[in-house]
Amino acid sequence: MIAYNKTWLANLRLQDEVKKDVQQGNVSDAEFNGIAQKYPVSFYTPNLFVRIGLFILTCVIMSFGDGLLTLMAASSRGLVESAFWLFFLGALAYAGLEIMINASHHYRSGVDDALLFICGCFFTTGFAVLLSNNNYGTHYLSLSGLIFLLTLWLSIRFADMLAATTCCVAFLAFIFFAWIKIVPAGLSTAPFIMMLVSGGVYWVASVYSSRKEFINYDNCLIVAKAVSLTALYASGNYYIIQTLSSEMMGKTGPVPFGAIFWIWTILMPFAYIGFGIKRKDVILLRVGLLLITAAALTFRTYYHVLPVDVALTIAGTVILTVVYAVVKYLKTPKHGFTYTEPDEVNLMDHLKVESLIVAETFSHAPAAPTDEGVKFGGGDFGGGGSSGGF
Amino acid sequence: MNNNLYSNLHAEGLVSDESLAKTRLKEEKPLLFSVHWEIKTLLYVGVLLLTGGLGLLIYENIDTIGHEFVLMLIAAICLGCFYYCFKNKLPFSKNRVLSPNSFFDYILLLASTSLLIFVGYLQFEYKVFGTNYGMATLIPMLALFFIAYYFDHLGILSMAIANLALWMGVSVTPKQLLLNSDFNSETIIYTYLLLGILLIAGGYAAQRFNYKKHFKFSYLHYGIHVAYIALLAGYFHYYDSAIAAAWMLGILTLSFLMYHDAFKNKSFYFLLLVILYSYIALSSLVIRFLLSINDGVMIELIAFYFIGSGIGFIFLLINLNKKLKAA
Repeated sequence: MIAYNKTWLANLRLQDEVKKDVQQGNVSDAEFNGIAQKYPVSFYTPNLFVRIGLFILTCVIMSFGDGLLTLMAASSRGLVESAFWLFFLGALAYAGLEIMINASHHYRSGVDDALLFICGCFFTTGFAVLLSNNNYGTHYLSLSGLIFLLTLWLSIRFADMLAATTCCVAFLAFIFFAWIKIVPAGLSTAPFIMMLVSGGVYWVASVYSSRKEFINYDNCLIVAKAVSLTALYASGNYYIIQTLSSEMMGKTGPVPFGAIFWIWTILMPFAYIGFGIKRKDVILLRVGLLLITAAALTFRTYYHVLPVDVALTIAGTVILTVVYAVVKYLKTPKHGFTYTEPDEVNLMDHLKVESLIVAETFSHAPAAPTDEGVKFGGGDFGGGGSSGGF
Repeated sequence: MNNNLYSNLHAEGLVSDESLAKTRLKEEKPLLFSVHWEIKTLLYVGVLLLTGGLGLLIYENIDTIGHEFVLMLIAAICLGCFYYCFKNKLPFSKNRVLSPNSFFDYILLLASTSLLIFVGYLQFEYKVFGTNYGMATLIPMLALFFIAYYFDHLGILSMAIANLALWMGVSVTPKQLLLNSDFNSETIIYTYLLLGILLIAGGYAAQRFNYKKHFKFSYLHYGIHVAYIALLAGYFHYYDSAIAAAWMLGILTLSFLMYHDAFKNKSFYFLLLVILYSYIALSSLVIRFLLSINDGVMIELIAFYFIGSGIGFIFLLINLNKKLKAA
């Protein structure tokens, strides 16, 4: 099913495993070379920067190639405007992708990423154009269904994380639209169904991620877990439920069973973190940490208990105190937890990404003297993320 | 499973007895779950929230608190943090100095930000430097460079570079560089160019004199982007006059130098930058040429050029990558 050579994928995993031990000094370089010869990997997988470069260049080639084809076909009336032209271009990208993988053995090289991305975009746009032509607004059900099938195939065939993400989201959207269409008064029961379904997706992903047959889809299943956990939270989040019910049914005012949803909104992130710590599950832990922000924002939308400045200050103090306490507590590793760096050297460290992020977020602050509309704040506090730092 | 892996490899004669014993030993140790990244991220978010919140708090209550109190508060935070840093720092060295603990970097960051806020506040409220804005930005900049070198902090070096740019009248983070700048004014282009050259020179000097060698990356990273963008902007600004050729020549020289530097230091990142910026320059030349022919089939020709050159550059990139790896 998977497009890439399975033996090589297995060898790649083996080599990665051994490489870690080489870095830790448990296995010598000579031994690694011997192992690499015995278990060869003939994929073309360049480093991250070359991958980015190849991605950009492939996108340039494809856009001008498709533009040229469209220009040529434009003479025949009606062909270019139809959705089938988009399908044709998408199919072309797909063919290119299969050729690059089978003939040139590209694996996560930027070229295959770009082609997969372009192919997915063309087909998705094609579906949207095709379905929105006849009836406006009611095509979401079939659209999400088609996108689900498309990205499911792409995920199975290429084990791509972006495809897997889209696939999960499309599946959940499909269930949602199907439920509110089929069941009368579907919208008021939809939260519970979505909880069940996303919980189910998480459960399935967890079960399959430990199976040997699915080892090639490890990264897809990780993404599926993260998406389903987020969806599980979102389906019980008060703000989302209220917004959806007012948007789709024109109902305003408090939501029925409000108390249940409030408990869900506030407690779920902590439950995630608790389970994450108990099971030593990185995904649960990180999703939980992120969702605390969502819970805080939801709460603040409805109850303006504190002014923004006080809230920010308190939040900052609390976070720093908790972190300080955790670091103190883990000075010597306890219960299998440590706060020292993992042994694996990763590429990002070489790039000193952190310094660039600091520059991106803090560099507005020093602008104080020359700026007219000066604020005394320490930079913008919106981006805690890696905002394209390198 | 891991255990099996090495047993099998050992049975095949690929792993020596000694290495097998080492991996066994490693597996016997309990597997530690590292929360390193979570802690780091939370620290970062915490500092961000706290400084943001305090800033906002002061801003909104300025009437009741009074400026002197606010200034004293900021100064107290600043001094407290610097005191901690001076007390806990490791001895200065020309090479890389690791931070003594995981809080150190963030406390230093807090100290530097509050220093900036302090100076900015003084200027805004009391006009200490009057209208001499150059002075008002020069002093924080020098302070930041000093802190960055003295405590060996890359984040603060980036802040210092941003302040240098500010002092020269431009803002340097890539995002702002692309969003907020208009490239039509000649002075801005020349300032950018000077800044870029200065930063690249700084990077080279760091390496040449073996003084904080690891700072070279930050210098070059900003320098290359700024220099290339300035050169391209210059080229397009003087598009119709003969001087455009000089700008093109500048791009060519820069590419040549950076290409050699990337090879010397085995840097894939800078190699990629050189290739992409050179591609933009080359494409603008070719399109100019094609447009000057002024035939009916130009669009097709341009499309063909991009397809062909795209494929060409892909092969170039793949080959250079191979060469760089082998070098």
